[in-house]
Amino acid sequence: MHSTILQIEHLTKVYPDGTRALDDVSFEVARGEFLVIIGLSGSGKSTLLRCINRLIEPTRGTIAFRGHNVVVAPRHELREIRREIGMVFQQFNLVRRASVLTNVLTGRLGYVPPSWALANYFPPSLVDRAFANLQRVGIPDKAYARADTLSGGQQQRVGIARALMQDPALILADEPVASLDPAMSHSVLRYLEELNRTDGITVICSLHFLSLARRYGTRILALKAGRIVFDGLPAEIDERRFKAIYGDDAVEVEIS
Amino acid sequence: MPARPGPSVPSEAVVSEHARGSGAPPGGTARGTPGGPAGAAASAPDVVRLKRGVVWYRSWRLYAGAAVALAVYVYGWQVTQIRLGELWRGAYLIAPFASALASPDVLVRDNPTVRVAAPFYYGGESPPAAAAAPGPVLRLSRSSGAIGDRITATGQGFPPDRSGMLWWENQIGQRQQLMAVRTDRGGRFGAAFTAPEVQGTHNLVSAEIVAGTGPLRLSPTFFVVLNRMVETVFLALMGTTMGVLFAVPCSFLGAKNLTGHIPGGPAVYALTRTVFNVTRSIEALVLAIIFTVWVGLGPFAGVLALGVHSIASLGKLYSEAIESIDTGPIEAIVATGASTLQVVRYGVVPQIVPQFIAFTIYRWDINVRFSTVIGFVGGGGIGFVLQQYINLLQWRQAATALWMIAIVVAAMDYASAVVRERVV
Repeated sequence: MHSTILQIEHLTKVYPDGTRALDDVSFEVARGEFLVIIGLSGSGKSTLLRCINRLIEPTRGTIAFRGHNVVVAPRHELREIRREIGMVFQQFNLVRRASVLTNVLTGRLGYVPPSWALANYFPPSLVDRAFANLQRVGIPDKAYARADTLSGGQQQRVGIARALMQDPALILADEPVASLDPAMSHSVLRYLEELNRTDGITVICSLHFLSLARRYGTRILALKAGRIVFDGLPAEIDERRFKAIYGDDAVEVEIS
Repeated sequence: MPARPGPSVPSEAVVSEHARGSGAPPGGTARGTPGGPAGAAASAPDVVRLKRGVVWYRSWRLYAGAAVALAVYVYGWQVTQIRLGELWRGAYLIAPFASALASPDVLVRDNPTVRVAAPFYYGGESPPAAAAAPGPVLRLSRSSGAIGDRITATGQGFPPDRSGMLWWENQIGQRQQLMAVRTDRGGRFGAAFTAPEVQGTHNLVSAEIVAGTGPLRLSPTFFVVLNRMVETVFLALMGTTMGVLFAVPCSFLGAKNLTGHIPGGPAVYALTRTVFNVTRSIEALVLAIIFTVWVGLGPFAGVLALGVHSIASLGKLYSEAIESIDTGPIEAIVATGASTLQVVRYGVVPQIVPQFIAFTIYRWDINVRFSTVIGFVGGGGIGFVLQQYINLLQWRQAATALWMIAIVVAAMDYASAVVRERVV
């Protein structure tokens, strides 16, 4: 259970405009962890998550996912790495005009022959699995609805079902509840928690609210200006550390 | 304009001090006269002020702007030779067209008629006596004579209470109307006329009495116009198709988000957009004239003109649709390990195809409207016959063409709106 799934060393990202979004970040993630990343807007949370599956090219450093170096992986190997890493986004990133079912099925694209895309073909077994995953996130009746007709919470659950289609070992969740109301936030995070506990999927999730981080995280990593300023258990974040992460003027806001 | 001291501009001084938010104006008593503009500004602090701190009705810019606008429109009125009186004086010229619009040449009746003829010879010769036959009879007071003779025609045995026409037909069959007649209850009529001046000697006087009401049928004009309308719609279809075929590939070159990342891309982008803009700025009518010179009169020239114009306008619209693409879904699909083909199929295509379809239908709609006038310059379609009808003052036929255009264009407009609403 304590084997390492992800190992990041000296990860640095400098954008073309000179912004140093990540500055020599190193940490390990053990299999089965629910790692929550907190930090102010612009502290580098999204950049860190996107470097892990190389949606953003890192400037320096190494990222080892199950022993594969993501940073130098050639195209075909990168695709094989990506298909084992599910991703959930703040803005859901569904294809708005496509059906929920199609959106869920796109999660499997890394496993099917690309030529099938020309005929928009998915084998019946995959369609069954898509329905099963929609069942799991509680919206099987929405399969044929257009994605943009769903509420925010429902769209995010479609996003989770899409990630589930990948049979992921790791799920990256980039502010998955920042666009949702508090009740929906808990609903979505509970699904992630269930996947983490029942299926043993490792989750790395960035969150705005410390109360949510404490409630769901098994471990918390805090970023400030691209550097790790805290790495430990949720209970260890006291007033002093809170101010170190969010600044002296910050006041903690509860989300119930 | 900075506040100048001096009694000539008291309001500016006061107002600018007000704008600075100072309390008592320093030296205000020296500048403003009591009860003058200074007092007014103080008692009405909410008065509208322009940016420079001048009360709006004291802004010289306002009056200068009004004067310039007046001058522009006075000149414009003259240069475009606007003479509203002509609308009244010329009304009688267009009146037949207005009434023709109310009665376009669409439906005609083939009414059955009873026709009986009697000969009348010039130059002394007498026609042979007609054999007595049953049915209606037309008798002339004399059967031979000279031009200018007064002749009385009587008819009997015709359908009662019907109207008809007396005709004069010369030796080679040319007909002219003599007069209208109407039968009485007994089926008789009588009419007097003067023998007209015609060539030849062997003439025929005939009476045609309308015997009943025939069925309505569509007029020949209607079929001519319908034919041309079909040609027009297809002209627009072919032009639009040509536009789509070329605009789709070009539009990718004219999208900034695609060309921005490749070497030489910005130059390709700038070139494509410039070509689009220059081509679009040439009216399709001008293109049609050019193409009629090139490929001759007819619908093909119209297709080319509409096609070239459509490439430019569709290309621009498509490019903008590609530029407005949401990168979120693409990012998500890339993250699943999808290949480029899969990303295009599931991330890009669903986002742009509905818009492409909507723009294409919209363009077809515009092209149908436009192809109705492209015939005026020889580009084929309904405009060609419409122009002929107008030149020949055949107002009822012209009205038929106009109604056809109005109905088809309105229907296309509606259909395209419905379809666009469904795909987007």
